[in-house]
Amino acid sequence: MTHDDSSDEGPLSLDVPLEERRRKMRSYFWRYKWWFLLGAVFLVLTNLQKFTIPVYIGYAVELMQQAAEGESELELLRANLVWAAIAVVLLAIGGAIARILSRITIFNPGRYIEFDIRNELYEKLADLTPAFYDPAPTGDLTSRVTNDVKSVRVFYALTYLHVINTAVAYAIGIWRMAQVDLQLTLMCLLPYPFLLGGILWLGQALFYQTKVVQSQLSEISTKIQENLSGVSMVKAYAIQDREIDLFSDLNEEFFEEKMHYAVLQGGLQALVGIVAAVGTFILLVVGSSQVVGGELSLGAFVEFNGYVVALAFPTISMGWIFSIWHRGRAAFDRIVEILAREPEIEDPDPEDQLDLPPLESGRSLGRVEMDDVTFGYDDETILENIDLEIPAGSTVAFVGKTGSGKSTLVELLTRLYDPDEGEVRIDGTPIERLPVRQLRSELGFVPQEPLLFSMTVRQNIRFGLDALDYDDTVERQAPTTPLIQPGPDAPRELSQEERIEQAVDVAGLRPDIDSFSDGLETIVGERGVTLSGGQKQRVTLARALLVDPRILILDDALSSVDTQTEQVILDHLDYIMRDRTSIILTHRFNALDRVDCIYVLDEGRIVQTGTHDELIEAGGVYEEMYRRQELEEDLDT
Amino acid sequence: MTTSDDQTTTGDDSRGDSSETDEERPDGVAIGSNFKEERLGDMKDWTIIKRLWRFMRPYRVTFLFCLLLLPVISGLELLQPHLLQIAIDNYITPGELEGIGLVIGAFGGAIVMRAGIQFLQHYLMQRAGQNALVDLRQELFEHVQDRPLGFFHDTPVGRLMARMTTDVKSLQNALSSGIITMAGDLIMLTGIVVILLYKSWRLALVSFTVLPFLIAITAFFRHYLREAFREVRTKVARLYAHLQESITGMEIIQLFVREHVSADEYRDINEEYRDANLRSIRYDAMLYAIVEAIGSITIGAIIWYGSGQVLDGLITLGVLVAFIEYMKKFFVPIRDLAEKYNQLQSAIASGERIFQLLDNEQKVPEVDSPAPLPERPFRIEFNNVWFAYNDDEWVLRDVDFEMAPGERVALVGHTGAGKSTIINLLMRFYDVDRGEILVNGTDIREFDLQAYRSTFAVVLQDVFLFEGTIRENITLRDDTIDEETLHRAAEAVHVDELVERYEGGWEHGVEERGANLSSGEKQLVSFARALVHQPEVLVLDEATASVDADTEALLQDAVETLLSQQTSLVIAHRLSTIESSDRILVLDDGEIIERGTHGELIELGGHYETLHELQYATSSETSEPKVAE
Repeated sequence: MTHDDSSDEGPLSLDVPLEERRRKMRSYFWRYKWWFLLGAVFLVLTNLQKFTIPVYIGYAVELMQQAAEGESELELLRANLVWAAIAVVLLAIGGAIARILSRITIFNPGRYIEFDIRNELYEKLADLTPAFYDPAPTGDLTSRVTNDVKSVRVFYALTYLHVINTAVAYAIGIWRMAQVDLQLTLMCLLPYPFLLGGILWLGQALFYQTKVVQSQLSEISTKIQENLSGVSMVKAYAIQDREIDLFSDLNEEFFEEKMHYAVLQGGLQALVGIVAAVGTFILLVVGSSQVVGGELSLGAFVEFNGYVVALAFPTISMGWIFSIWHRGRAAFDRIVEILAREPEIEDPDPEDQLDLPPLESGRSLGRVEMDDVTFGYDDETILENIDLEIPAGSTVAFVGKTGSGKSTLVELLTRLYDPDEGEVRIDGTPIERLPVRQLRSELGFVPQEPLLFSMTVRQNIRFGLDALDYDDTVERQAPTTPLIQPGPDAPRELSQEERIEQAVDVAGLRPDIDSFSDGLETIVGERGVTLSGGQKQRVTLARALLVDPRILILDDALSSVDTQTEQVILDHLDYIMRDRTSIILTHRFNALDRVDCIYVLDEGRIVQTGTHDELIEAGGVYEEMYRRQELEEDLDT
Repeated sequence: MTTSDDQTTTGDDSRGDSSETDEERPDGVAIGSNFKEERLGDMKDWTIIKRLWRFMRPYRVTFLFCLLLLPVISGLELLQPHLLQIAIDNYITPGELEGIGLVIGAFGGAIVMRAGIQFLQHYLMQRAGQNALVDLRQELFEHVQDRPLGFFHDTPVGRLMARMTTDVKSLQNALSSGIITMAGDLIMLTGIVVILLYKSWRLALVSFTVLPFLIAITAFFRHYLREAFREVRTKVARLYAHLQESITGMEIIQLFVREHVSADEYRDINEEYRDANLRSIRYDAMLYAIVEAIGSITIGAIIWYGSGQVLDGLITLGVLVAFIEYMKKFFVPIRDLAEKYNQLQSAIASGERIFQLLDNEQKVPEVDSPAPLPERPFRIEFNNVWFAYNDDEWVLRDVDFEMAPGERVALVGHTGAGKSTIINLLMRFYDVDRGEILVNGTDIREFDLQAYRSTFAVVLQDVFLFEGTIRENITLRDDTIDEETLHRAAEAVHVDELVERYEGGWEHGVEERGANLSSGEKQLVSFARALVHQPEVLVLDEATASVDADTEALLQDAVETLLSQQTSLVIAHRLSTIESSDRILVLDDGEIIERGTHGELIELGGHYETLHELQYATSSETSEPKVAE
């Protein structure tokens, strides 16, 4: 949906001072000032051409009249007329060149500004965290980065074009007309201020009425949407007829608003017709007697007509300015609301900055400590006083019901959020003192929702390597370690191609890849192959393993993978993660007897800790959940 | 006289506008929306136009009147250069001012009348067109209301929305102004050609010599422009796809520190998109400027050839001036026609999609002379009912049971066991494939559908609340429900307590989908909704959403009240609801495998007992002391 008000309230609104918004708006213009200036020069040339052609038409008429009065030599006249015709043609050609250049020099910077704003928005979005995204309605966000950017571009290009063009046309037009006859000029220009005012007024009224019509239309859409989503209720209570009546009312209201709009639009059309002809009319009233009285030549009369008619379009074009102007400014404000946002998660000051001990083979790393960590959104507490220490190189699991806080716990580790209280340390370093991206480059995260991108399977798998390979701001180098235990003679360092092949095997993707005709080059997603939930999960697993993470986090990541495959995958993980830490979040209990420690979470607290056997022994939440799952499995078979 | 520009510019600069704004349509290219919406092409254009005409037909008098006004408008506009010619030839050149007042008056009159009639024509045409659209929209809405529930399961809401909003909108221009302006343009063109040929066929032919060039050059540039626009569309689709995906996957991008790499990718696509646009600007500027130039060159030609004619006395000076004026009016309609044609094409495509929807005649079959609704109370029988949503995948197999008046029957079973399907069949959202459902001995297919359904009240698991007041959400805007009934119903299910707490009481605003109510509150409201409609049979699909203990107690009490008032069929999740039922039907894979009271079934020690244990025994010893039973 489009929206035109900067006063929109919503999760995305942000108070940016007017002065700041305007300054930012001007800055884009200044960035391309030379283009715009050049555009103005070409507009002057275009208009000069436009207002010179009448001179030759007038001249030609003059010559013909002289001929009629037999004042001059006929042959000479004919030759001069041909010259006049040629002059018009040459002017036409010159004008065409100026016109092409004027449009290019004005529309191009509009596109450049659009390009810049899009890039800046993207970079800003890449800096913002879930705290920004979670409450933001995706539709609103998308509309800002698409429709609003477009409105802003139109704003820069078209307001400039029309305002400058109209100003230049009036200046040159009046100058030319005054050269012919000042008094006549004043007479002929008399209605223009009123017409201009009328057009501006109608343009404004149309803009506001458009908004009314749009909001009425969106009420209709909302009604349809509501009816369609509530179709079961509508049918169950047999209230179709009432729905139809309600819709009919909205439909009628829309009709009324649309007719109001039609009145204004019809008015504008009528006015446009008047603007196009009124100049000639006044000229006829005032000028014809002047010609007869000998104060004005017929040629000048015809020439003058050219000028007044040439003013019509610049006048009419002012009718669009209002809406372009308003829409553009409101759209810009909405864009600034995103651009001006500061990311919630920040890097430490350079002097406070620490590093992680480097990864070496044979050394166990990935110790995680949480000291009295508390976290909540708004006033809802998600995690309360979490204390734990996960030894380097171990494999642990977090279990608990949906909403127990286990996903949030690992999100704190990735610094998607920062805890409200307490401290999180990795290998002894408080993570808030690590540059955020350095921290993340050490983690392998396999999310609950297996999200892949519309690229090839290979690109998806090497997704995390890209930054290590190509991004100079990321210090960590792409790992070369094998993912499968090498034989005694096998190389200890592998190329990424070989590692990707291994990752495919480790994640149990080999049979799937072989079944695709394009293998690893198969494109995933809407324009390619739709993968099953299990396939997606295994790709996301391969993606995480390939970066050789210090800490691997599996957030219920194998739920769609069958038990057998899961066992095979876990066997591989034992090798890959031998010196690293693995954290598993799960609902399934079948793999939990192989982890070193299980943390049971309930309502934001750790209620039980221990190995599977210990916990079963102890009874309580864990045991209850375990029995329940057993029962469910019984029922299924 | 004037330059070539003015009139042509009027139109052409506005085209400059549209080319600057229209070539990309974000709503159309957003990820996933640009496929499957192509024309299927099995409906002929002509058929679609004829079918559209059905909507215009009721307004045909206005429409025809508007058509008749078109030549008048063109005539008044084309009269103006002619009057200028008369003024020059008959009065100004001979120096004779007497009588010129009449000519000038006529000129002024033509301007005013043209404006007036143009306004009238526009208004009337909009009126007729918008009326037709109101009818179309209404018919679509009513048509969709008539479709059976299965239709909505097969058709995504988004697609239906697009039919009823976007496609109707794209018909708007064609119906309310497109056709008529096309006709107007054609009349204008013909008028100019005839007038010029009449005034001086030689000069006219000379003036028209530029036309082939105009057409060739336009075709040439349009070709490139179309290519450029196509490229712009491809790029913008890629750009938005990347953006959309980045927004949804930003967390993953950040976790794999790929922000910079992704931003670079985006920048590259953005650059390609920009460059495609710069190319289109270039072609567009050339096309626009060259059309302008051709207009001016025509004037050069008129001066060159026409002046000779004037000198030879074949035409008058006024004719020459008029020629220049006419030629300036000539280029606008030529350009407009191409644009209107494109508009018409997309309107036809939308029309086709709309008619495809209107052609869907899926319906719950109804009998011609429905049986009268039986006397209350109802005795409901399912006799050997079989049902499949898709061929041969039986969802219900040989389901056979009976509900006596006032009885409470509970359906229990796994997800997918067929519980909801029983409700769907009872409500006639679907019809049985084999067997029959009887009410007091009459097959339910014999009744009038609406009347039959209105004897039921259904409370579904996913409570649907709409934007409106609490009152409206309970009465469903039925004005015949009086205050007392409303209050009594509300009181019975504790909604009165909610209403007291709410700001605005009964008029408290409910947000879209009930977003500002808790799930417990929503359920209570839906209970009140059911009660207030005083059903003969109540159908309840208990919600499983967990609520806090206080609300749970409230809900439990409300459910009890709700069910105790009439015959009821309930998909039960609450132990208390199940236990207090007269009969429990245990479903598994579409079959009733066990039936009896709670006590009997526990005694039996079968499927029900396991289910019962799973759902209630382990979860808590807190809520239900009766478990031990």
